[in-house]
Amino acid sequence: MALVDGVPQCYVDNDWICTRYWTDYRPELVDASVEHLWITVISVLAGLVVAVPLALVARRNAAVESVVVGATTIIYTIPSLALFSLLLPFTGLSPTTVIIGLALYSLTILVRNVLAGLQGVPEEIREAARGVGYSDTRMLLKVELPLAVPVIVAGLRVATVSTVALATVGSIVSYGGLGNLLLLAVGNQFKAQIFAASVLCVALAGILDLGLLLVQRLVTPWTRHAR
Amino acid sequence: MQISRAFALAAAGAVLLTTAACGGSDLEDDASDPASSGAAGDKGTVVVGGQDFTESQILAAIYQSLLEDAGYQVQTKLVTTRDVYLPELSKGNVDIVPDYLAGLTDFLNTQKNGPDAEAVSSNDPAATLAALEPLAEEQGISILPPSDATDQNAFFVSQDFAEQNDLSTLSDLAALGEPVKLGAPPDCEGRSDCEGGLTKVYGLDISEIVPLDFASAQVKDAVKNGEVQLGETGTTDGTLEDLGLVLLEDDKGIQPAQNLTPAVNSDFLADNPDLEDTFNKLSEALTTDDLAAMNVQVDLERKKPADVAAQFLEDKGIL
Repeated sequence: MALVDGVPQCYVDNDWICTRYWTDYRPELVDASVEHLWITVISVLAGLVVAVPLALVARRNAAVESVVVGATTIIYTIPSLALFSLLLPFTGLSPTTVIIGLALYSLTILVRNVLAGLQGVPEEIREAARGVGYSDTRMLLKVELPLAVPVIVAGLRVATVSTVALATVGSIVSYGGLGNLLLLAVGNQFKAQIFAASVLCVALAGILDLGLLLVQRLVTPWTRHAR
Repeated sequence: MQISRAFALAAAGAVLLTTAACGGSDLEDDASDPASSGAAGDKGTVVVGGQDFTESQILAAIYQSLLEDAGYQVQTKLVTTRDVYLPELSKGNVDIVPDYLAGLTDFLNTQKNGPDAEAVSSNDPAATLAALEPLAEEQGISILPPSDATDQNAFFVSQDFAEQNDLSTLSDLAALGEPVKLGAPPDCEGRSDCEGGLTKVYGLDISEIVPLDFASAQVKDAVKNGEVQLGETGTTDGTLEDLGLVLLEDDKGIQPAQNLTPAVNSDFLADNPDLEDTFNKLSEALTTDDLAAMNVQVDLERKKPADVAAQFLEDKGIL
């Protein structure tokens, strides 16, 4: 096929790995990664902000717990394409559409883990705290939540990694971060771009996962020494 | 101990929030970047919408350049399907979209009159536009004059086959009176813009439809090596010439008019009436061949739509 001179060979051959692509499209890759990162972080944080009170309500009694856990699990079964389409009339082509959707999905994992973390606090410790005069609020903040941190962070890690993957679907409303590049590349069979965006997605998930692990180590120093 | 843990938590939270905040402000910077516009003045923000396939990306990039040059701040939002951006265009969350005459007409027609509504689009751009305008107006959308550039389904044969038999139109092919194998997607059968139209309107004798994807490398190979005589692609497919393939003209007009046309939110157009001239200049300059050439640059040479758009506007002397 006679192409104009000066087209890089790996574009002509449509190679998966094309170093020229990474330099030519560096600004696009950076912008998409940054968008992907902040959409993921905000979504998971929003999910956590909602999950903690839900878990606190849920642990009051078994009936409420099954309703809360059941409801947040059912949300996860809604196909993401359908969920974003449902939100579209209200929030339009905006990051909000994607963030609400992703935060809802993260609830499934986060509510369960916050709940499990709180329930994992040994009863003796609660009684000891009560014995020295801790109020419920003080006990929650000073005793229960800190002890639940390892389990909560474990949930955050799973939620974050799954959100990185899910965020790509945001491309249907043009806020999919690396998903935008993926969708465009699938459309015109641009293999170098499919490969690059996929690699960056995996890298982003790995970095965030490691970052959260470090945060957990920092805030729960006792878990390193004990056991 | 207590204090250091609280501090670490706060620090971790702050790090997360800062990352989030940085990202957020970066995006806003992108969105409100006055870009490389030479024009002075700030006329506010325009959102260009559209679909995300190659041709639509290029047109959106052309729109963006034109609008930036006119002094607007432009945000482009490309999505997968018309049913995502059209309600937004109606509401004014999206201001302008490069769209296709018959595609838009059919969409609004079925939206209003149900999926079985009789088609109001036709091969005639003027008639299709006349049918579209009232449908669009109901949705608060204004249609600017369409371009002659059109992206219709089309049929091609090999250059050799065309030369041997002196073919330039589909009527010429039908006049040969030979049975023809057609490479097209399976849904081609019976469709008035495909097998149905070819047999009923042109009287073509189609012996077999070989299921091959629209505009695919496979259908082009099949025509080139004679497995089928006729293949289906689009009028803006810029790869045909290099492959030794040639389009046959749809001289009896079985394809609906898919002329490129700017669809604008009516309120936005009323507030910015001088945009009409800007886009008319573009529509007058744009040709089907331009689209084909630009598609090749993006799909095969892997140039960026924005660069291709800028080159086009410069070559045409528009910017």
